[in-house]
Amino acid sequence: MIAAMRGFAVLATCLVLALGQAKAEDFVLGSHLPLTGSLAQVGNGMHEGIQVAVDLFNRENQGHQVKLNTIDDESSPAKAVAAVERLASERVVALSGGYGSNIIGPASEAAAKAKLVYITSGGVGPELSQRGLEYFFRINNTEGYSKAVTGLIDDMGVKKVSIVYNNKEATTDLARTVEKTLSDAGIKVSSLAFDGGHADFKPLINKVKLQDHPDLILMSGYENDYIGILRAGNVLKPDIKAIVGVWSLATSEMNNKFNDLVQYVYGTSMLPYPAEFATPEAKLFAETYEKLYGKAPDYLGQFGYVQTRLLLQAVLRAENDGTLGKGGLADELRKTDEETLIGRVKFDKNGDNPEFAQRMGQHQGNKVVLVWPAKAATGKMVFPATPWSK
Amino acid sequence: MFELGLQAIYSGVLTGGYYALVALGLALVFGTMRVINLAHGELVLLAAYVAYSAEVHLAISPIAAIPLSLVVVSLVAVLVYVLLSHITRDRELNSLILTYGLGIVLTNLMLLIWSADIRSTTATWFQEGAVLGDTLYSSRSEVIFFLVSLVLVAGLWFWLTRSWHGRAVRAVSSNRDAAMLMGVNPRTTEVLSFLVAGLLATFAGIALYTGKTIDPPLGHALTIKAFIITVLAGMGSIPGVLLGAMLIGITEALTISFVSTSLQDLAGMVLFLAVLLLRPQGLFGFGTRRG
Amino acid sequence: MQQRTIITIGFVVLFYGAVPAAFGSTDYVISSIVAALTIAGTAVAWALLGNLGGMVSFGHAAFFGVGAYVSALLTMNAGWPVFAAIIAGGAGASIASVAIMPALRLRGPYFALAVLAYAGIFRILATEMEGITRGAAGLLSIPRLPTILGFDLGTNIGSYYVILTIVLAAMAAYAWIRRSEIGFALLAMHETEDATRILGVPSTRLKAMMLVLSAFITGIVGAFNAHHISFLDPDYAFSGVWTVLPIVAAIFGGFRTVSGPFIGALAIYLLDQFVFKSLLPTGHQIILGAALGTMILLSPDGLVPLLGRGLGKKRHAAT
Repeated sequence: MIAAMRGFAVLATCLVLALGQAKAEDFVLGSHLPLTGSLAQVGNGMHEGIQVAVDLFNRENQGHQVKLNTIDDESSPAKAVAAVERLASERVVALSGGYGSNIIGPASEAAAKAKLVYITSGGVGPELSQRGLEYFFRINNTEGYSKAVTGLIDDMGVKKVSIVYNNKEATTDLARTVEKTLSDAGIKVSSLAFDGGHADFKPLINKVKLQDHPDLILMSGYENDYIGILRAGNVLKPDIKAIVGVWSLATSEMNNKFNDLVQYVYGTSMLPYPAEFATPEAKLFAETYEKLYGKAPDYLGQFGYVQTRLLLQAVLRAENDGTLGKGGLADELRKTDEETLIGRVKFDKNGDNPEFAQRMGQHQGNKVVLVWPAKAATGKMVFPATPWSK
Repeated sequence: MFELGLQAIYSGVLTGGYYALVALGLALVFGTMRVINLAHGELVLLAAYVAYSAEVHLAISPIAAIPLSLVVVSLVAVLVYVLLSHITRDRELNSLILTYGLGIVLTNLMLLIWSADIRSTTATWFQEGAVLGDTLYSSRSEVIFFLVSLVLVAGLWFWLTRSWHGRAVRAVSSNRDAAMLMGVNPRTTEVLSFLVAGLLATFAGIALYTGKTIDPPLGHALTIKAFIITVLAGMGSIPGVLLGAMLIGITEALTISFVSTSLQDLAGMVLFLAVLLLRPQGLFGFGTRRG
Repeated sequence: MQQRTIITIGFVVLFYGAVPAAFGSTDYVISSIVAALTIAGTAVAWALLGNLGGMVSFGHAAFFGVGAYVSALLTMNAGWPVFAAIIAGGAGASIASVAIMPALRLRGPYFALAVLAYAGIFRILATEMEGITRGAAGLLSIPRLPTILGFDLGTNIGSYYVILTIVLAAMAAYAWIRRSEIGFALLAMHETEDATRILGVPSTRLKAMMLVLSAFITGIVGAFNAHHISFLDPDYAFSGVWTVLPIVAAIFGGFRTVSGPFIGALAIYLLDQFVFKSLLPTGHQIILGAALGTMILLSPDGLVPLLGRGLGKKRHAAT
C-alpha cells in the first residue's frame, strides 16, 4: 500500500510539475530508477532524495525552475536504456539516478551516446568509472566503503577476520577489496561466499565459528542477509569481539525494527541516528524530507540528494556562463569541489570521486553512534561487544 | 570436522521439516487433482504477510495470527480452485499455465500492498537459541515448526487413509467416475483438498515469518522448492514428502559446510534432476511420469 | 494460399518500411520495439517446441543465457566478428539443449519444471565459473553490431532490422516445418502418441529435433540481445523474464499459430510499457498475470485464433 501510494505520489508530482507554468528558462531533469522489481526498495529511497534536491533548488532559485521526469526502469537494463533514450528525446538537461552497476553500465553508455551528463551513486564497482566515459560521474565508490571498513578494523586492533559475502557484484567487489587491504596490513583473513536470499545461515556461521575462530566477522550483503546472519550468530554465539556490516545496516529502520538483533553491530553510515544536522543546508534537507515523506532521511535519500544538488548547481553555473547548450555541463561539473552531506566531493578525469570516504556507525541502544573516523565521531565505540554478548 | 557435520545434519533435518510444511499442500493437490499449483508458494507467502500485518497493526503474536492467516489463505485457495475448475481441456498443462499466471498476480498484489521492503517478525522470542546437549544449535522457531510439521504429516496421512473424507479424496483422485457412483461428490472433495492445502500453507507461512525474512519475489522460489520435494517424494506419498524435504535440507546444509554456500541451490537441483531422470517414480512413490 | 501471400507481403512492407518510417526518429520507441521483438523471437521458439514438440518449457531463459554468453565471450576473448559469434551463440544453446534431452522422456509438467531447474543450474554455473564469465561482475561494453555497407547496425534502427529479420526467419522456418512431413508427424503425435509409434514415427527423435531448433533460435535471440544491450551478468542473462514474457506472449497471441507469438509479444510488451506502466507504476505485471489467466480460461488457443474465428465466420457468411 505504501509503495502504491508512493507510486501515485511520484505520478502526481510529475503531473503537477508538468502542469505548472513552463517558463523559457526551465530545465527538465531526467531520472531512471528501479521503482519496481528486485531493486524497488533502494530505487524508491534514492528517488526521494532526488525529489528533495529538486524541490529545494526551485525554492532557492526563483529565476530557474527544474522539473523532474522519472521513468521506472523496473530493474531491467533494456528498460533503463529505453528510459534514457526517451528522456533524451524529451531534451532533458542531464540525468541523475540509476541503481545497480548492471543497469547503470548500459544506461550511462546510452546517455553518453546522447551526449548527456549522467550522475549516480547507485553503482560502486571500479569498472564503471574505467570506461573513459566523458559524461559519467559518481559520488561514491567501493574504495570509499572499503576505506571505512578497514579503517575501523585497524583501529580495533584485531588479528583474525572472517568475511562472509553475498556473491552479487557489489558485495563481492567490496569483500575482495577489503580482504586485500587487510591481508596487506598483516591481518589474517578468510572469506566465504553465499548465494543471497533467504538461506539458513547457521551452517555457514558454524563453519566460521568452528574452523576460522575469528576475532571479527565482516558481512558484505544486504538487509535480509544481515538479519539471517545475525540471527544465526545469536543462536550459535561465536566468540568474537565485533560484527561489522556495510550498507543498509546502520540505519534508523534497522534500529527501530530489529533493535535487539543489531545491538553493537557496525555498518557504514554518513550520519548518526537520530540525525544531528550541523549545517543550515543539512537542516533544510532533513526538514524538507520529513515534510515530503514523513520520515527521517536514510542513506539512499542522502546520496540521491547530494548527487542531484551538485548536478543542478553545475547546470546553473553553465547556464549563467552560456555554455549549457554547448556541451559545457560536463566541464562545469568536473570543477565541483564541495563539502556535502556525504563529505567532500570532487571529480577526477573518470568522473569518480577520489575524496569519498564512508563513516562507520554502531548501533547502541536506540541510537546509531558514529565511531569512525575520529574527526566525525559522535561517540565512543563499545568494543568488544556483539548482540549476543550483552 | 565431526562437530561441523553433526550440526549440518541437525540444521538440515530442521530445515527439512520447514520445507515439508511448504511442500505438503502442493503435494496434496497434485496427488488428488493431478494439478501442480504453481501459486502455492505465493499462498505460503501470503500467510506470512497476513501475520506481519497482524503483528504491526493489531500487535498480536504471529502464532495468534494463525486463524486470521488461515481465513485469508483459504479464501484465496478456494478462488484458485474455482478458476481451475473452469479449465475444460488439456487440464494438466493449462492448469500449470493458469496457476503460473495467478502466481504473478499474487506476487504483484503483495508488492502493491506490502511494498518491496524486507519483513520479519520483531518478536525476538522465536529467534532465541534452543541448544541440544551443548552441541546442537537451533532457534525456537525451527524446533516448534519442526514438531508442527511432524504432527501435520501424521495428521494428513491419517486423514487420507483413515477418515471417510480423506478416503473420498483418494477415491476421486484414482477414479472420478467410480467415486461418483459410490456417492462421493468430486467437487466437494476437491474443494476440501484445496482447503487443507490452504491450512498447510498457513502453517508454512507462519514458520517462514517467525524464522526467516520475507519479500514479494520469495513465493516463486518456494513453489519451486515445493515442487522439487514433491518430485523427490514421488506422487501421492505423504511420508515421502517429509523424507524428501529432509533429504534436500541435509544435502543443502552439508554442501554449505563442506563445499561452498553458493552451491547450495545447485546441490538441490542436481539431486532433483538425478531423481527425475533416474528414478522417475520418485524415491518413495509408485506413479509414472514418462511420456 | 493467395490470400496468405498478400498478407505476408503486406506484413513485410509494414515492418520493414512503415514502422521505421514512422518511429525511426524516436529512439526510445524503436528501442522498445526491439525489446518486444526480442521477446517475440523467444516466444516463437517457445511455441515451436510447445506446438510441434508438444512440450511446455519453463526454462527458455537457459537457452537465452547460454546463447548470450557464448556470443559475448567469443567476441570479447577470441575476437570473433559479431555475426559469426551470434550464430555460434545459437549453436551453443543447441548444444546446451542436448543436456536436457533425457528429460524428453518425462510427461508434460515434469519436463516443464525440469527445464526450469536447468535454467537455475546454468545461472549458478555462470556465477561460479568466474574465470570464464567474470562471475557476478558481469561483462560490460560487449561489442555492438557492426557497420555493414556504411549502415551502422549498432544503432537502434539498425538493430531493429537485424532482430526483425531473425524473428521473421524463425517464423518462416516454423511455418515450413509445420507444413512439412515432419510437422504432420509431430502434430499427429500429440493426438495419439502410441498410434504414431506403431506407424514407425520416431517420436522422441522428432521431439529432440524440435528442442534443438527451439534452443538454437532462442540462443540467437539471446546473443543478439547481448550485443544490442552490450551488457551481461548471470542474473540478467538467465533472468526469469526471458521465460515469463515469451510464455505470456505466446499464450496470449496463440501458440498454435505461427503469427500468434509474434503478435502476442508486440501487443503485450508495448501495451505493458506504454499503457499499463502509466496506469499502475508499481506492480503493473499484475496485468500480465491476469491476461495469461484470462486467456487460458476464455480462449486457450489465444488471441489470433479468436480473431481468426471472428473473421472466418464473416468470410463464410459472405460466400
